[in-house]
Amino acid sequence: MPSLSEHVMEEIRALPPQFPDVRTAVMPALDLAQEELGYLTPEAMSEVATALNLDPGYVEGVATFYTLFHTEPVGKHRMYLCTNISCKLRGADELLEHAMRAVGVKDFEQVSSDGLFSVEAVECLGACEYAPVMRLDHAYHHDLTAGKIDALIAERRSPLPLREGQGEGPKPAAAVKAPRAPRKKKSDA
Amino acid sequence: MPELRGTTRGPVLTRWFGTENLHSLDVYEGLGGYGAMRKALTTMTHEQIVDEVKASGLRGRGGADFSTGVKWSLMPKESPLPMHLVVNADESEPGSAKDRYLMENSPHMLLEGIGIAAYAIRSHQAWIYIRGEYDLPFARLTEAIGEMRAKGYVGDKPFGADWPLDIRIFRGHGAYICGEEGALLESLEGKRAQPRAWKPPYPAQKGVWGRPTTVNNVETISTVPWIIENGAAAYAGFGTEKAKGTRMFTVSGHVQRPGNYEMEIGKTYRDLIEGLAGGALPGRTIKAWWPGGSSAPVMPGDLLDTTTDLDGIKDVANLKGHPIPPLNMGGRTFATMGGSGGVIVMDDRFCAVKAAHRLLQFYAHESCGKCTPCRVGGNWAVRAYEHILSGEGGPEDIAILDRVQEGLQGGRCLCGLGDAAGWVIASSLTHFRQEYEEHALRNFCSAEKAAVNA
Ligand SMILES: Cc1cc2nc3c(=O)[nH]c(=O)nc-3n(C[C@H](O)[C@H](O)[C@H](O)COP(=O)(O)O)c2cc1C
Ligand code: SF4
Ligand code: FES
Repeated sequence: MPSLSEHVMEEIRALPPQFPDVRTAVMPALDLAQEELGYLTPEAMSEVATALNLDPGYVEGVATFYTLFHTEPVGKHRMYLCTNISCKLRGADELLEHAMRAVGVKDFEQVSSDGLFSVEAVECLGACEYAPVMRLDHAYHHDLTAGKIDALIAERRSPLPLREGQGEGPKPAAAVKAPRAPRKKKSDA
Repeated sequence: MPELRGTTRGPVLTRWFGTENLHSLDVYEGLGGYGAMRKALTTMTHEQIVDEVKASGLRGRGGADFSTGVKWSLMPKESPLPMHLVVNADESEPGSAKDRYLMENSPHMLLEGIGIAAYAIRSHQAWIYIRGEYDLPFARLTEAIGEMRAKGYVGDKPFGADWPLDIRIFRGHGAYICGEEGALLESLEGKRAQPRAWKPPYPAQKGVWGRPTTVNNVETISTVPWIIENGAAAYAGFGTEKAKGTRMFTVSGHVQRPGNYEMEIGKTYRDLIEGLAGGALPGRTIKAWWPGGSSAPVMPGDLLDTTTDLDGIKDVANLKGHPIPPLNMGGRTFATMGGSGGVIVMDDRFCAVKAAHRLLQFYAHESCGKCTPCRVGGNWAVRAYEHILSGEGGPEDIAILDRVQEGLQGGRCLCGLGDAAGWVIASSLTHFRQEYEEHALRNFCSAEKAAVNA
């Protein structure tokens, strides 16, 4: 059974003519795949490779290099908390701990038991004047506090629709897996 | 729209900031925007624009500080292959947010600059490589390019000129190294982002897709419309003898008013940190500050009177009796540098060793792994820092840090990331040696004590 829907495959096949070289289409194609599935399964990567007529190993090599691609399941809402220097100076470490406790995950690989959340500490998000900062559902959240994190979590747990402008996260990850060791560094891949 | 933190109505880049809906084409044009692009495309030759930008003294704001006009003049006059302008909007240097501030608030200023620069270097297609996390700037630029297209400002005959122009956006996917010129071009080609070993041919001969390419930073290109509109002499009226103009600074960390400030080059970091950003938090003292992103060597808190002049700042005389760190830039020693303009301020309640540890984690994590000193050295340093901070360290850990910083510097690495990691260790270890020794020898943290006693 193919993992990517026909219309996504269609969109992916339409990408190469937009670029001077087919390889430039790899990341936009992986974006479409990740948007549909929540993360990049080996099957999805090989389907992308087939659609672009590229070697699957090449596609996987690209996917594993960049931190915004996920090759393991992630929560429907993934919290990217900046812990780099400007945010750390303003309390990011405590907020990271708070966020992980609040959704009940022990590491960055784990997905909360309801499948809704996962958390990741990230490098500078380029919004240091608003430190501490978090990116969630394609939007930045500024001057973060434990209270703000709780409110963002509560909004997403409640069945009410998201307010306008809050964006749509990726679809829920397929299965919730047991916690695993921290992800290998991308350069080891 | 997030609350605007930083300069509005500044002299050059931020002159219209604070105007409602400045991001829309109508508002931008109503204030005089696109006048420079019209002027350039309809009344100036390619050479005239390049000469004007050369004469303005504008130097690249991405960190490498190279003359923009000279860079443009290296592009071939004729090429059998298409030529490209690539705008570096990857902004990932810790402490830097100014490119985001510019794109979010005034996307058309960047796009107008792109129109002028592309024409100047004889390119018909420009690419903006923007980091994947920048959701709002991406949305703003996408919308703005749509507005341009509707008006014909991109298309077959912008402003009636016979110069077809296309502007495309490519989104990055999270990797600091993509900001480095060669790695950025690799990434744009759809590959893993690893820096290129630049020997001839250089990007101006063989850049992205093997075509002649110029890479410029967002702020650099955003400055161009003002120069074309007001003239090189007016721009060169700002700044010092050699470092012309104004530039953007991001001030973050322990200050009262963090923000993105536009300031004339040549004023001091005191003007910026205490003046514009409101200075230290009440009752605290500034202990350390990084002048230009985490890669610019850290400075002690009592040296705020250092100039923002891009050459003058390097002079070791700025250190005024502080020990001179073993810093090496192409064989030359220096005090620190202007870098990306991301000014990080840290006060007496925060531990200098912990700060350096966090930065080394960053450099180790972001190393692309191509060169051994960078791939291995970063991890060695992180382990030494962990050991020191765990209370189990000793003088041998400080010795390891010393060896690692030396190994990272002095042309042993292919790109600036390795050097920067070495500079972080060397400058922190020199200026805050006492804190390292307290931790390593006595398992004591004076910053923590200051915080507890406060
Ligand atoms: C590790 C590393 C990261 C860099 N990151 C950026 C960046 O995020 N943005 C940028 O404009 N330049 C960055 N640069 C500098 C670029 O390589 C290049 O010099 C610059 O984009 C040229 O534009 P300019 O001449 O307008 O400054 C980086 C350099 C290195 C070594
Ligand atoms: S210095 Fe580091 S980041 Fe730069 S090319 Fe070498 S290994 Fe890669
Ligand atoms: S350090 Fe957190 S946004 Fe820059």
